[in-house]
Amino acid sequence: MVSVLKRSLAIITLLIIGYWLAQGLAGVPFGQDRMLVGKYYLENVKAQTGAVNAVTAIVVNYRGFDTLGEVTVLFIASTGVGALLWRRKKRRTAKTEGSVVLRTGSELLFPFILMFGTYIFIHGHLTPGGGFPGGATIATAFLILYMAFVDYEIPHRLFEPLEGLAGMGYVLVGLIGLAIGSYFLFDWIWQTWHWGAANLGRLFSGGFIPIIYTLIGLKVGTELSGIVDSMLTEEVRE
Amino acid sequence: MNGQYASLLVALPLISAFFVPLIKGLGGRAIKYYLTLITALQAGVAAWVFKTVYTTGKPIIVMAGGWRPPVGIDLYIGHFAALFVLIVALVSFFMAIFSFDSVSTEPTDKYAMLFLLLMLGATGMIATGDIFNLFVFMEITSITAYALTAYNKTGEAAEAAMKYIVLGGIGSSFFLIGITLIYGSTGTLNMAQLAQLAGSINPTVIKVGLSLLVFGLAVEAELFPLNAWAPDAYQAAPHPVTAMFSAFVVKAGLYALARLVYLFSHAAGWDFILKLLVIMATLTVFAAEFSALRQRDVKRMIAYSSISQVGLIALALSVGSQLGVQAGVFHMINHAVVKTLLFLTVGYVGVKVGGTGIENFSGLGRKMPLTAFALTVGALAAVGIPLFNIFWSKVWIIIASIEQGYAWEAGVVLAASVVEAVYYLRLIHTMWFGGWDGMRIRESLPLGTIALFLVLLILAIGVYPNPFWTLAKSAGTDIFNVSRYIANVPLMGVGP
Repeated sequence: MVSVLKRSLAIITLLIIGYWLAQGLAGVPFGQDRMLVGKYYLENVKAQTGAVNAVTAIVVNYRGFDTLGEVTVLFIASTGVGALLWRRKKRRTAKTEGSVVLRTGSELLFPFILMFGTYIFIHGHLTPGGGFPGGATIATAFLILYMAFVDYEIPHRLFEPLEGLAGMGYVLVGLIGLAIGSYFLFDWIWQTWHWGAANLGRLFSGGFIPIIYTLIGLKVGTELSGIVDSMLTEEVRE
Repeated sequence: MNGQYASLLVALPLISAFFVPLIKGLGGRAIKYYLTLITALQAGVAAWVFKTVYTTGKPIIVMAGGWRPPVGIDLYIGHFAALFVLIVALVSFFMAIFSFDSVSTEPTDKYAMLFLLLMLGATGMIATGDIFNLFVFMEITSITAYALTAYNKTGEAAEAAMKYIVLGGIGSSFFLIGITLIYGSTGTLNMAQLAQLAGSINPTVIKVGLSLLVFGLAVEAELFPLNAWAPDAYQAAPHPVTAMFSAFVVKAGLYALARLVYLFSHAAGWDFILKLLVIMATLTVFAAEFSALRQRDVKRMIAYSSISQVGLIALALSVGSQLGVQAGVFHMINHAVVKTLLFLTVGYVGVKVGGTGIENFSGLGRKMPLTAFALTVGALAAVGIPLFNIFWSKVWIIIASIEQGYAWEAGVVLAASVVEAVYYLRLIHTMWFGGWDGMRIRESLPLGTIALFLVLLILAIGVYPNPFWTLAKSAGTDIFNVSRYIANVPLMGVGP
C-alpha cells in the first residue's frame, strides 16, 4: 500500500516537473537568430586563431579556459579512481586468455590504432575530433591489449609521470602566454609570432591549438588507460 | 604588477597538482610538505590580489586568452571574490598542516592532488564571470569532493560518497539544463551580459531556468531538500576535508547562488525565485537544528549545525535587500572562521582519542586543555553569544529581515540560536564537567597555534566588529549592486 502511494507520488512529481520543463522549453526561441557571440566567432575565426575548424577554435582558443577545466575534471576522475581502488600491491587476475583472433588482431592493430588516435588529435584544428576523442582512441588500443592478454599491464612508470607532464605542459603553454602576451592562455604562437599564417588550412597552422591538443591527447590517453588498469587489477596479499 | 597575474590563482594549484605524480616517489611526508608549501604560495597570491582590489577599489578582470568578454571567458575578482579567495587559500593552508596529523590513509599523493583541486574548484567558482565556466568549476569542486568523501575507504565513506554522487549528479544536470534554457534565449554565457539582457527574456523561461539553476546549486549550497548527502559526507570525509567543505566549498555554492539570483534581479518573476529560496532556507534551518539535537557523535552534530548556519546565510541572502546580502556575507566570514576551528579541534580529538563520539569528549578540559578551550570558544561563538563574532552577524541578519518586513525570519534566527545553545552547552558541559580517565595528551604546537589564531580572530571580530563589518559590506555590495558589476566588465560590442 505504502509503495503504491510512494510510486504514485513520484509519478505525479515527475509529471509536474516535466510539464514545467516543457513550458520553459516552449518559450525558448530555438532555431531563431540568437547568434550574439556565435556570429562573431564565425566571422573572425580564421584571422584571429588560424584554425579552419571553428568548433576547435572556440573550444581551445576562445573558451580555452573551460577546456583546461574539462581536462582537470578528467584528471580528477582518474585520480579519484586511483585513490579509491588503491592497494599496496596490485596484479592482473584475469583467468582466460583471449582467443587467437583477438591476440593476433590486437598485436597487429595496436600500432595502427595508436597512429589513428595521434592523427585525430594532431589534426584537431582542421578536421572534426581533437584531443579528447584522439586520446580515447589511444586508450582503446591499450584496452584491447588488456582484453587479449591475461598478464598485460601498461608501463606505469612511464604513464603516470607522462599524465602529469602533459597537464603541466598545458598550464605552461598558458603561462608562457601570460609572460609573452600578458594574458593567461594567450595564443602567442599565432598572435605574436604569426607562425603558420601562410599555411591556413594545412597542418602547420592554428597557433597553439595543435600543441594543446597533442598534450590533451597524451593526457586523455594515459588517463583512460590508467582508469582501465585500476579497474582491471586486483589486490594481492603477501 | 599586471592584474592579469591574478590568473595564477587558478594556474598555480593546477600546475602543482599535475606535478605531484612526478614526486610521488619521495614518500608521504615530503608530499605533505609540498602541499603546505603550495597552499602557502596560493595564500600569498591571494593576499596580493586582496590588497590590490581593496586598495584600488576596482575589481581585477582576468581575460583568459586575451579575448574580451563575452567572446572569451573572464574572471571577475571583485571585493567579494578577493576576500573569499583569500579565505579559501588560508583555510587550505591550515588544513594542509592539519593533514600531517590526521591523514594516514594511503595513497597520500592522490590525496594531495585532490586537496589542491578542491581548493582550485572553489576558487574558480568564486572568481568566474562566465556561467558555463561556473558549471565547469562546480564539476571540479563536486567531483573532487566525491572522491575525498570516499577517501577513507570505509563502508560509511563509500555510502556517503554514493549519496553525494547521486544528488550531485542530479544537481549538475539541473544546472546544465538551466544554462541551456538561458543560453537558448539570450545567446550569451557571460554573466554581465546576461544581467543586461535579463529583462528581455520570456518570463516563463527565466522562471524555469532560474529555478533549475537554484536547484542545481542547492546541492552544493546544502539547502533543503537537496542536502541529505551532507551530514554523512561531513562525518565520513577525512577531518581536514570536512573543515574545507564547511569553510569554503558550501560558501562557493552559496555565493554562486546569490550572484546568479541577483544578476537576474531585473527579470520577470524574480520575486518568485526569492520566495522559493526563503522557503528552502527556512526549512534547512529547522531540519538541521532539530537533527543536530539528536546526535551522539560530535562531528556529525557540528555538521548539522554547519548546515543550519548555511540555511541562515541563505535566508539573509534571499531577503532581497542590500543590508541582507551584506549581513549574509558577514555571516559567511564568521561561519568560515568558527567552523574551521570547530572541525579542526573535533578532528584533532578524533585523531588523538580515537573517535568523535560524545563519550570521547568527557573530561577533555583536563585531558587536552588547549583543544578543549578552543573548542569551547568555537561552540560559544557558534551559539551567538555577545563578544563572539557570530553574535554580530546574527544581529545584522535580524535587522535586515525586520527592515524588509520579514519579522518571522528574525524569529527563525532566534529559535535556531536557542536550539544551538542546548546542544553546544551540552558539549561544553561534557568537556569540562564529565568524568576524566586521568590521562594527559600532548597537544601539537602548530595545530595549537592555528587554533589560538582562530580563537583570537573570533574574539577580535566579536570585540571590534567594525573593520570586519566594513569588509563584509563592500563584499556584499559587490554581489547586490548589479549595475556596477555590469559597468566593471569591459564587454565587447557584439550582438544586435
